[in-house]
Amino acid sequence: MSTLTFTRSKVVGVECPDKKTFLAHGILDDYIYALELDVEAKLPDLEITNIQGRWKRFTTTECPKSIPKLQNAVGLRILEEEFGRKVHRVVGKEGCTHFANLLVECCDAIVQAATYGEWQELKEKGIAPGKEEYLEEKFKAIPGLQNSCMVYSRFARRGK
Amino acid sequence: MVLSYTRNKYATTTDLADGSLLVQAVLKDTFFAGTVEMKVSVPELEIASLTGKVERAFNSECQEAVPLLQKAVGLQIGTGILKAVNGLVGGSGGCPRLADLILECIDEVVLRFTLPSIGEKQSKNEQEQIEAYRELIRQHPRLIGSCIAFAKDSPLLKGLELEK
Repeated sequence: MSTLTFTRSKVVGVECPDKKTFLAHGILDDYIYALELDVEAKLPDLEITNIQGRWKRFTTTECPKSIPKLQNAVGLRILEEEFGRKVHRVVGKEGCTHFANLLVECCDAIVQAATYGEWQELKEKGIAPGKEEYLEEKFKAIPGLQNSCMVYSRFARRGK
Repeated sequence: MVLSYTRNKYATTTDLADGSLLVQAVLKDTFFAGTVEMKVSVPELEIASLTGKVERAFNSECQEAVPLLQKAVGLQIGTGILKAVNGLVGGSGGCPRLADLILECIDEVVLRFTLPSIGEKQSKNEQEQIEAYRELIRQHPRLIGSCIAFAKDSPLLKGLELEK
């Protein structure tokens, strides 16, 4: 019989208390680790303005010392180049790689909310523009979005 | 306040009867739903097969990215895999969502093989645990500097002599 030998779950929710602010709450829970993050980021460049974290389950006596290292992420801009790599260095290597993993997950969730959230709102009101038209506006507002994948690179080429 | 966006990502690893691993990673969020299923040979830790699907996406063209998964078949899980997966499946010519799910599967494989030694250490007393971590560092010195527990000034490494 085949047996389950490892599982990991990550859950992130994003709230928008105002048009410029995103609050992400994320949890990571696997066979070894359990941890939690609250991250605040603000437009226009999605700068991380606040971060708090908590351990639920860890492996060594040193792991709790990674909590203060989360503050290294304050001031980082989610939309800047090499954001993920910076997080893995200043939060991961200097603190904990699992917190870095969850932080990248929370920040990616914030980018998704910032990119598509408005379209969902407009759709609910029945006034959503066409997807390409909507994306053209988002390409201007979110640096790097138009070269982020094969579909958007194609849109951008079509637009030229 | 209601949520503007929600994401649920989970991955599972199953040890198969033939000794290989079957890893599944699933992402369901407000705007995207997709799955990647990876078979990994043991002990080579080579990606033997990959399948996946995009069930829901903002753009219908995202479906076209699924065949890109095949580019990662044959890669060996180890140093350089992150860059290889992002280069072959992610990036501006690929799909970062699917690349991310492959990387989630790879994390699972690493953690699945880490789990037994962690469980073993936790059954020991504090001093024995410290010695067990020192032994881990002796065997895998590149862990030094990988996190705060294995920082050069960490009490876990105090007095540790490494073979040159």
